[in-house]
Amino acid sequence: MADQARFEEMTREYMPALYSHALRLTRNPADAEDLVQETYLRAYRAFPNYQEAGALRAWLFRIATNAYITMYRAKQRRPDERDLDGMEEWALHGAIGGLEAAAAARTAEAEAIDAMPDEDVKRALEDLPDVFRQAVLLRDVEGFSYQEIADITEVPIGTVMSRLHRGRRKLEEALSDLAVERGLVPTKEPAGA
Amino acid sequence: MDCYEIREQLYAYLDGETTVWRRRAVARHLEGCPPCLEGYTLKVTVRRVVAQRCQDPLPADLESRISALLAAEAAD
Repeated sequence: MADQARFEEMTREYMPALYSHALRLTRNPADAEDLVQETYLRAYRAFPNYQEAGALRAWLFRIATNAYITMYRAKQRRPDERDLDGMEEWALHGAIGGLEAAAAARTAEAEAIDAMPDEDVKRALEDLPDVFRQAVLLRDVEGFSYQEIADITEVPIGTVMSRLHRGRRKLEEALSDLAVERGLVPTKEPAGA
Repeated sequence: MDCYEIREQLYAYLDGETTVWRRRAVARHLEGCPPCLEGYTLKVTVRRVVAQRCQDPLPADLESRISALLAAEAAD
């Protein structure tokens, strides 16, 4: 069995990030703690064979991703990655004649989103379909490269880019809608028009 | 590249995962196109907000529970 003290010393610093990640994936603290414990147990068992020098963080996130899939497969709904292809929203926003209005609305949106409480942002993220949420978290919170995310989630890099694209677009829409709902920005179209 | 193509490139640009040529083309376009620049601003904002707001404090005893779990595993 691996040297426990050495393992803990090497992996300890990643525990807060893994816990936050687990919390966004599972959406509740009890499941998140279970997931982190399972991740560390699996990592500890695999540690004697660990040879990816310098890639410890990515290795731990890959284990966490696999553990999540195993532990929550039953609960998982398969997200439809084919839905809402393309850039319809962009096309709408940038419709000829509405460019300036769209630009002004988006500036207000950005400011409103910036001022949103943490809970709103977390909820919007947690509402994203599973694989989109994972991609966004791994890139935007953890800062992994596309290639690292491809390795962690075991999918081709093109799939990572597609998931990121769709996940971020959904998130932008959700946060923009929320800003409008909260009355933080003027609605884009007059009501009842 | 036109606005549509630029907007398709914005995430890769934001992530620094693009070619030097495309990077320059996007930067040049954004300088001269306020609507695309505003779109880019929204993306930058959402990314920053996600990065900043998703840090949760580690439960106080999780580290010691994991330590105990590993010790039990080692003893098996």
